[in-house]
Amino acid sequence: MLSMKNISKVFKTDLVETHALRDFNLAVNEGEFVAVTGPSGSGKTTFLNIAGLLEGFNHGDYFLDGVNISNLSDNKSAAIRNEKIGFIFQGFNLISDLNLAENVEVPLRYRGFNAKERKVRVERALEQVGLAARMKHLPTQLSGGQQQRVAIARALAGEPRFLLADEPTGNLDSLMARQVMELLEDINKAGTTIIMVTHDADLARRAQRNIQIVDGQVCDFSMYQAGENRGKTQSIADAASVA
Amino acid sequence: MLQIRPIISMLMRSKSGPILLLVQIILSVAIVANASFIITERVSLMSRESGIAESEVFDLDIYNFDDGMDPVSQTKRDIEIIRNLEGVKAATVSSMTPLSGGGWASNFSYGTSKEDRVDAANAPLYYGDEQMIATLGLKLIEGRNFYPDEVLTGGSELASLLIVSKAYAQETFGDESPIGKVMYRGEIGNQPMKIIGVVERLQGAWVDNNNLERGMIINVELAAAFNRILVRADEEAIVGLKEAIPAALHKENPNRVVRGFTTISEHRNIVYRDHELMATVLSMMVVLLLLITSLGLAGMVMFNIERRTKQIGTRRALGAKKRDIVSFFLVENYLICITGGVIGGLIAVQLGQQLMALYSLPKLELFYPIATVAGLLVLTTFAVIFPAQKAAKISPATATRSV
Repeated sequence: MLSMKNISKVFKTDLVETHALRDFNLAVNEGEFVAVTGPSGSGKTTFLNIAGLLEGFNHGDYFLDGVNISNLSDNKSAAIRNEKIGFIFQGFNLISDLNLAENVEVPLRYRGFNAKERKVRVERALEQVGLAARMKHLPTQLSGGQQQRVAIARALAGEPRFLLADEPTGNLDSLMARQVMELLEDINKAGTTIIMVTHDADLARRAQRNIQIVDGQVCDFSMYQAGENRGKTQSIADAASVA
Repeated sequence: MLQIRPIISMLMRSKSGPILLLVQIILSVAIVANASFIITERVSLMSRESGIAESEVFDLDIYNFDDGMDPVSQTKRDIEIIRNLEGVKAATVSSMTPLSGGGWASNFSYGTSKEDRVDAANAPLYYGDEQMIATLGLKLIEGRNFYPDEVLTGGSELASLLIVSKAYAQETFGDESPIGKVMYRGEIGNQPMKIIGVVERLQGAWVDNNNLERGMIINVELAAAFNRILVRADEEAIVGLKEAIPAALHKENPNRVVRGFTTISEHRNIVYRDHELMATVLSMMVVLLLLITSLGLAGMVMFNIERRTKQIGTRRALGAKKRDIVSFFLVENYLICITGGVIGGLIAVQLGQQLMALYSLPKLELFYPIATVAGLLVLTTFAVIFPAQKAAKISPATATRSV
């Protein structure tokens, strides 16, 4: 499903060069639920951005669903993001001037679905997260947990094969965080591959596999045995400092 | 793809900025449409063909102070002297100078008796001899010129023949040939004059009068203590003639003042100065208004880009291509522009009607508000496209940044 080999990402300024990822290797199989942990500045977000085709990389090979991502045009990357990847952001990233239905509809419009198809998908996605009755509400009229559920609905509406979650519970209290996590688990059980970046060790433990990123490299001995490790929870997350 | 409905939703939920821009566009369209109309009117007035060889024709005035002078013989001698000067193509005594803002006009009528009299339009009246057509450079399109022996020297009561402009002939007789028709100055029975020729164009002296194109010439050479002479000469000879004509005339009779020497082109510039000034001021106003509007549009887009950086990144992350971001901003501003254009256009028509009633302006043609809105759409495209292209370059990775 996802395969990164020797990926390097360097941020350069006039004065410094920062190696955000170096010789980064990771393979994720279809249907997995992978939690990514690591200290601040370790490269988690850079990994997520590269995995989600939000930014490029300097060296290495990245295959997503069999497609070599290395030299894709901007349009092609946008199309893959739209069709294959669903994003869940820490800050929800809902558009405050659009109601819930319109927010969920955003990626579907870029996909070119007609109005009827969009309506069906929006209703189904909001129903899935339990907010079908509030589709005309504005994001500001919802709690943080509800907003994140809307963001999940938006990510699910396009039926992506791959869900990338960046600290999905980072802005939520523990009760709401648990609800969102349960929702993600349900989605994963339905067959969607999930990669979740988190600081929360308890949440990470609930994923099928944990990897830790330290200094831009994966500290998971089983990084190339994703298939074999499926269903297991690695102990590395426990060892990670997640303060 | 176009996202008209969600963009309308966004505009409706975040009104203040768009409303300010909308008001600016409404005012701009209302003012620019009317101003453009007035400018076009003025420019079309200024660019009317006079039918005269304007740069080759100039006028001069001779004021005689010799009590014993015989005006008829003196006038004939004077005109002969001028015609014989080098560089002069033709010269004639005239009752007025075209486009000068001052001259003669008269009412006419025609018919077979007082009972079936038909009033004809008022017309600017040139007194002139057989050289009037050549002097002004007019084009005779029907009939003939005066013969020299048909020209009588003296006062207007001597007139018996008419050469009229095509505009006057058509207005008075329609498609019927005017040649041979008899017209009367004022009432029927007063001074009958037969039309013997038609010139393609002949403008009068008053550019703001609706009789401008109805010029006509009667077969009378005025002869008085004061005479207005029209001279046609090679352009390059005119400067020299300003010296040569007074010298030659003073040599013949020193008791007079010779002055003037203004070409018709110069008269045109003077007589249309107010129109030109108004067209210039209004043009500057239009340019300024459009500049301010486009700056407003560009400023609004740049502000929105700053405000929506995260949103743009999120949209890109969710699959928006760069062109989707550009089209988002274009559509958003087109919607404001079209809404403002429609409202502004309606106000422009209303404003046009008020101006029409107050200042006797022609009715505002719908073309102007429509063209203004079309022009504004083009302006919107230029004002929006560059900031929008900048917005499209916002990285989708912005979506995952916390600040």
